[in-house]
Order: sequence, then C-alpha cells, then structure tokens
Amino acid sequence: MAREIYAYKCRLCGTMHYPMRMVCKGCKQNDFFEFDTVPLPKKGKLLTFTTVYNLPAQYEVATLGLGIVELENGMRMLGQLDIEEPTIGMEVNGSVEVVRKEPYEDFYGMVFRAA
Amino acid sequence: MREVYVAGIGITTFTRLEYPLVEIASYASMMALKDAGITEVDQLYVANMGAPRVNHQTALGSAVADSLSLLPAGAAAIENGPASGAAAIKAGFQAVASGMDDVVLVAGVERMREVNNLEATDFVATLTHPLAEYIYGVTLPAHAAMFARLYMEKYGVTERHLAMVGVKNQNAALNNVWAHLQQGITLEGILDSPEAMTNNPYVAEPLRFFDACPVSDGGAAIILVSKEKAQELGRPLIRLSGIGQATDTHAVFERQEPTDLPAVHKAAQDAYEMSGLRPEDIDVAELHDAFTILEIAESEEVGFFPKGEGHIALEKGETALGGRIPINVGGGLKGRGHPVGATGVAQAWEIVTQLRGDGEKRQVEGARTGLTLNFGGFGNNVVCLIFVRED
Repeated sequence: MAREIYAYKCRLCGTMHYPMRMVCKGCKQNDFFEFDTVPLPKKGKLLTFTTVYNLPAQYEVATLGLGIVELENGMRMLGQLDIEEPTIGMEVNGSVEVVRKEPYEDFYGMVFRAA
Repeated sequence: MREVYVAGIGITTFTRLEYPLVEIASYASMMALKDAGITEVDQLYVANMGAPRVNHQTALGSAVADSLSLLPAGAAAIENGPASGAAAIKAGFQAVASGMDDVVLVAGVERMREVNNLEATDFVATLTHPLAEYIYGVTLPAHAAMFARLYMEKYGVTERHLAMVGVKNQNAALNNVWAHLQQGITLEGILDSPEAMTNNPYVAEPLRFFDACPVSDGGAAIILVSKEKAQELGRPLIRLSGIGQATDTHAVFERQEPTDLPAVHKAAQDAYEMSGLRPEDIDVAELHDAFTILEIAESEEVGFFPKGEGHIALEKGETALGGRIPINVGGGLKGRGHPVGATGVAQAWEIVTQLRGDGEKRQVEGARTGLTLNFGGFGNNVVCLIFVRED
C-alpha cells in the first residue's frame, strides 16, 4: 500500500490544515481533535528550492535538495527534491519515502521528482 | 504603566569562548552592574536558547543569580529561540512597568561552540516544525535560501546585493572591538575574483558562506529601572519606549505570501504605536541579519523602505554609516556574531551605546532614537524594541 501524508480537515467548518493543529485555525471551535484525515495530493508545482551543502549531523550525504511545493489542492508542503536541475514553477510528483534515518528509527516524508 | 529606563549595559567579546556558560553571562552582567553603579537587583532574566541541549545545563536564572551574588533576587531563564534576548527584555520591561520591580537585570548568553558546527546547525534547526520541516533535514540556512530565491525572482535582488550586505556589516564589525569577525572583506574577494567560489562557496544555494552569520559564543546584559531609580543613578536617560512582539506559522511554507514577514511588520507597527514614533523618526537600527537577505527584507517590513526596494536603498548607501538610516553599524549578527540567546540583548547594547554617543568610529551623529529587531524561528516569533534618549 502506498504511504500517505495527511492533511487535517476540520469537521465543523472544513478548513484544511497541514501540519495538524489541535484547534482549527478557521473556526477555532473544535473541542477535542474533531478533524478528518485527508491524504495530501502528490502532484504540484515547485514554488522555491535550495541545495544544502552544510547538513546537520546525521546526514551522510554531500548535498540535499529541499523545496516548497504548491500541491494541486492549493496547500503547500516542504519536501526533499530528487531533481537534477530544479526550476521555479516546474511540475513535480511526490512519493513518501525515508527522508531521515536515526538509530533504530526511520522517518518518512515526501520526496519530489520531476513530473 | 510606569516608564522604563536603561541604567546599565555590558557585553563580552563574541567569539569562541573557553569559559563556562554561567561565567560568560556573569561577565556581561558585571559590566552592566558596574555601568549602572549598583550591586543589587530585584529580578533577573537570563535569555538562552541551547544550554539544556548544547551545554547540558538547566535553570540558568538561579545559577547566574548566585554567581553574581544577587541572592535572594527573583530569577528565571527565558527561552524563545533566537528571539530569547528581546523576549527577556520585554519580560524585564513588564516587571518594572507593572511596579512590581524597580531594578531588573536581563542577561543573554549562548555557548554554542562547545559542540561542532554540524551539531550547532542541528541544534538551531530544532526550532523548525518537527514533522513538517525538521525530519527533511531543513536548516535555518535552507529556510533563508528558499526565501532568498523567491525574493530574487520577485524583486530583482541579486547575489551581488546579498554580498553587499555582507561586506557592509562585516567591515562595520572592524569598528567594534567586541565583534566576532575582525577581518575586512571586499566584493572582489567574495564575488568577483576567480578565487571567489573557493573563498565563498555556497552553503545553501543561492546563499554563500559570507551570507551567513558566524556561530559564536558570547553574552550581553542590560539593566532596566524605574524613572526614579534612573534619575538617582544619573546615567544618560534612555527610555525603552516601545515594544512589539508577534508570532507567525510554525511551518514556514504555510505563509500566504512567502516573500512577506508579517510578524516583523506587526511587531514593528506595535512598537511604533507604543512609542508614538514613525519609521522615519528612527536614527539608527539593529536588524537581525542572521542571513544577508534578512537585512534587506526586514528593512522593508519595519517600514524604512517600500516592499521590494530595500536592496535599492542598500545600493545607494542609505543603510550604511552616514546614510539616511544606518543599519547594523556595529556589525550586525553577520559581523558581531550570533550567540543566539545573547543576540537580542546585544542589539539593545549597541543601540544604547549609540544613544549615549559612545559609538566612537561607528557613532551615528546625533542619534536620539534607535530600533532593534530580534527575529526568532524563521520569522515565527519577532520582537521589536524602540529606545529614545530623553536628556
């Protein structure tokens, strides 16, 4: 089964959140976590990007591509880029993969490639 | 609300310091106490971001109070990311303004060279959103780089403009003996010469090595007092006349207009309103240039220049010493260094130095009003302070 990253939709007013909130930023009326999870779209447009050379500890690669993507539904997210020459506005496709490895724990996140 | 004045200031050299964290905070505080001519305070706040993680020490408030023999004064540490310093000054202001305390010492301190650069970068990155940002390996330079790329695309800012901020501030630090970087640089050396790519490699495209502040240790301190106490102590009457603080989304990508810094705008507007001043009334400013692009963007958001024109003002020299609104004449974070918890207090230290007329080679002639902008997170927690010389 394909892994997903979820947005959080308020059950009272429908406002979408990513990342999650404990209280809805639209109506501010939720009692306790009245959200439905909705998978984030995988397609989008690259809004901005960088290649990082001075990575924090734990990363055993020379450089890391990062970018902010505007998804099909208008929401945005940060992801790693596996793109040789990124350009602003290019179409990308995401897939959920391991983005950070720590001892005994893998962290999954979105990796974007050229569409 | 009572009026609040600055009675004393102190600072340590910003560099790699081989002293325990509490000693660094104490040195700066001792200078401030001596400057004010006092040996007792009612309350102290210690601004710091990383001691529990980087230096394996907690409860700095009590440690510094005892080190300075200020017992039994009230004490607490304040952690607010890179905006800890100004947040602690705000707390000190509230304590005096409320009438609860007459004398408050605010010290900012950080010792982040105790760990290597990679660990220091990781420590600062822990302020990002844990699930939506941190796990991807995002760092503060990466955030600044993605922001800079949008700024370049939208407003025509170039790598040359960024380098100009770096040259201006790093060379300004040569006039500040407390500053970390004591090496002059030129556009030729970091941008135009064949060696530039070796001297000044990319750290996060399009930002290069000289677009980022150094990783520094250091401390700074300021003493806030009531008006009666200030008059009694007889130091120049400098009033902390305006404070604004604003927050923004934890995850940077959620901002509606990704080239805007709304928390900077709001914090500055609130500080102007409280002090009854306008941007054009400010004589000297300390902006949070952790990355060169931030000085340009912040100079617009605090109202010195229209949006998208900060780099043009920079080109004309309006932000240099002698210009219309000199920014970071003591080197800024870029030249003075950025011990994160100390920075907000060090900015206030520079402005008070200027308003006292003690700036020597970097003095802004006749400065009577000054503004500091302490930028926490990547713009998700911003504190703006305005100081006014009254006598």
